[in-house]
Amino acid sequence: MKLFMLLLALIILAISPFIGETPLNVRKILDPDAMEYLLFWDLRLPRVIVAFASGAILALGGLVFQAVFRNALTTPFTLGISSGATLATAFAIVFLPTSLLALSPFFSFLGAFATVLLLFIFARTLTAMQTNALLLIGVALSFFYSAALMVLFYISDLQQSYSILRFTMGSLNIVGFNNVTPVMIAALGLLAVVLRYKQELRLILTSYENAFLKGVEIKKVNLILLFFVSLSVGVSVSIVGPIGFVGLVIPHVIKLLSKKSSDKLILPVFFYGGVFLVACDLIGRNLGTVSEVPIGVVTSFVGGPFFIYLILKGKQR
Amino acid sequence: MTLNINHLTTHYLRDISFTLENENLVILGSNGAGKTTLAQAIVHLLENESITIEDKKVSDLCAKERAKYLNFVPSKLEIFDEYIDVHEFLELSLLNGTPYEEIENVLRRLEIDHLKNKSCSAISSGESQLVLCASALLHNATLTLFDEPTANLDSDKKIKIFELLKNDDRFKIVITHDLNLAFKLGFRVIFLQHGAIVYDGRCEHFFEEENLNRLFGHSIRRVEDFFMVNYQ
Repeated sequence: MKLFMLLLALIILAISPFIGETPLNVRKILDPDAMEYLLFWDLRLPRVIVAFASGAILALGGLVFQAVFRNALTTPFTLGISSGATLATAFAIVFLPTSLLALSPFFSFLGAFATVLLLFIFARTLTAMQTNALLLIGVALSFFYSAALMVLFYISDLQQSYSILRFTMGSLNIVGFNNVTPVMIAALGLLAVVLRYKQELRLILTSYENAFLKGVEIKKVNLILLFFVSLSVGVSVSIVGPIGFVGLVIPHVIKLLSKKSSDKLILPVFFYGGVFLVACDLIGRNLGTVSEVPIGVVTSFVGGPFFIYLILKGKQR
Repeated sequence: MTLNINHLTTHYLRDISFTLENENLVILGSNGAGKTTLAQAIVHLLENESITIEDKKVSDLCAKERAKYLNFVPSKLEIFDEYIDVHEFLELSLLNGTPYEEIENVLRRLEIDHLKNKSCSAISSGESQLVLCASALLHNATLTLFDEPTANLDSDKKIKIFELLKNDDRFKIVITHDLNLAFKLGFRVIFLQHGAIVYDGRCEHFFEEENLNRLFGHSIRRVEDFFMVNYQ
């Protein structure tokens, strides 16, 4: 089972850049003058890499958040980070002149990052074990942002409303390697930080009381983990939009299949989170519709039923 | 080992002061007297400024140092991640220079080898008490506080834990409301009532009839060396 999954994942990763609306002549991708060269190196490959890195960030972020917040429904979006990014992007779409619209990823990163900072200011007044309070603050922030987003929808014209809506569905339409580097750095950086705090995370997974007694600086570790998850999610959202469901489903699926404690699932969740998004993108690009199906729609359509199936199957035993 | 508690007052405890100098202690008291709260305050699970150990203020210690001096063994094993097994849990308890091989020794000493690959959430409450004690031995803190270590246990397990508490030469505070356990341990006794200390002294004196009558009315009867609830 394990080997089969790994093999399937590697095949998906390997074939993904070669399959798309326009068939690719494999022999021509190394010829700089051919159309295929551009298609492969500037469109397909960056897209697959960004999909992988984003999926990995969201899934690993979900794993960490579920451990820290002791709540199976927590995802990197629960704290309002994606809502912050969406609001800032909507703001850019409505108020920025069209010539500056290229800056909107920067705005969405700013929105995500401002939310992170806001959460940290609140978190400083909470004690180590009050993670629930922080979670509630995140939920309240999300509602606040949604209300502000409604105002923006109300004052925007039709074209702008559509752009905002399209952003909230997520998109992997990226060109060139400019966007690849930040997401890659964010993904690998997050992985490094989580692996560095593996032992502390393991103790937190037993119980907060036990971690405290065994000498973990709980508040410090939690804040570091939250900060890096939020930061990398912010980078990902600013480039591909808020893609839902990956952060919720992948950690649970991997856990149900492998039956190991979360600290041992850091690498698998990172890897399969990336593969999942690549696979969903592969489906979205090849459904044969006029325009491609938004990635957020595919993740939910594919992930939702599978998730429910796994939970029901898990409950039977 | 020197533990000093200096005018500790919380929402529940009232002006608790005592010093422990190279000795063990039993804290007695009825339900809701504040025993567990006191223990949590000592290990700083409940934040306060009143505790010093080895002349260092506990509130000023970093987490690692605090773990070297103090450990608290709760009355229940609660593990969030259902896939952590007993052996893994015990690995996480290896502190203060305890070698890895010691896990096997402690498992054998408490006769719980057979549990080591079981999930911590799949073992019985009695077994989990023994696992917690194993964890405390591996943690090897200067002072360990046990919260109701023998509650809800079969008699053979009670005896096993009693022997451990009696014979292990590390310093400990045992919280219980089992008078027989306190009597047999023979440690210094502190008796709490409504968040205040109403008795602090030697074990033999605590169990004199006059003192028992003062603290319990006539609800406890001594029959030879055993203490019974006086149902009448």
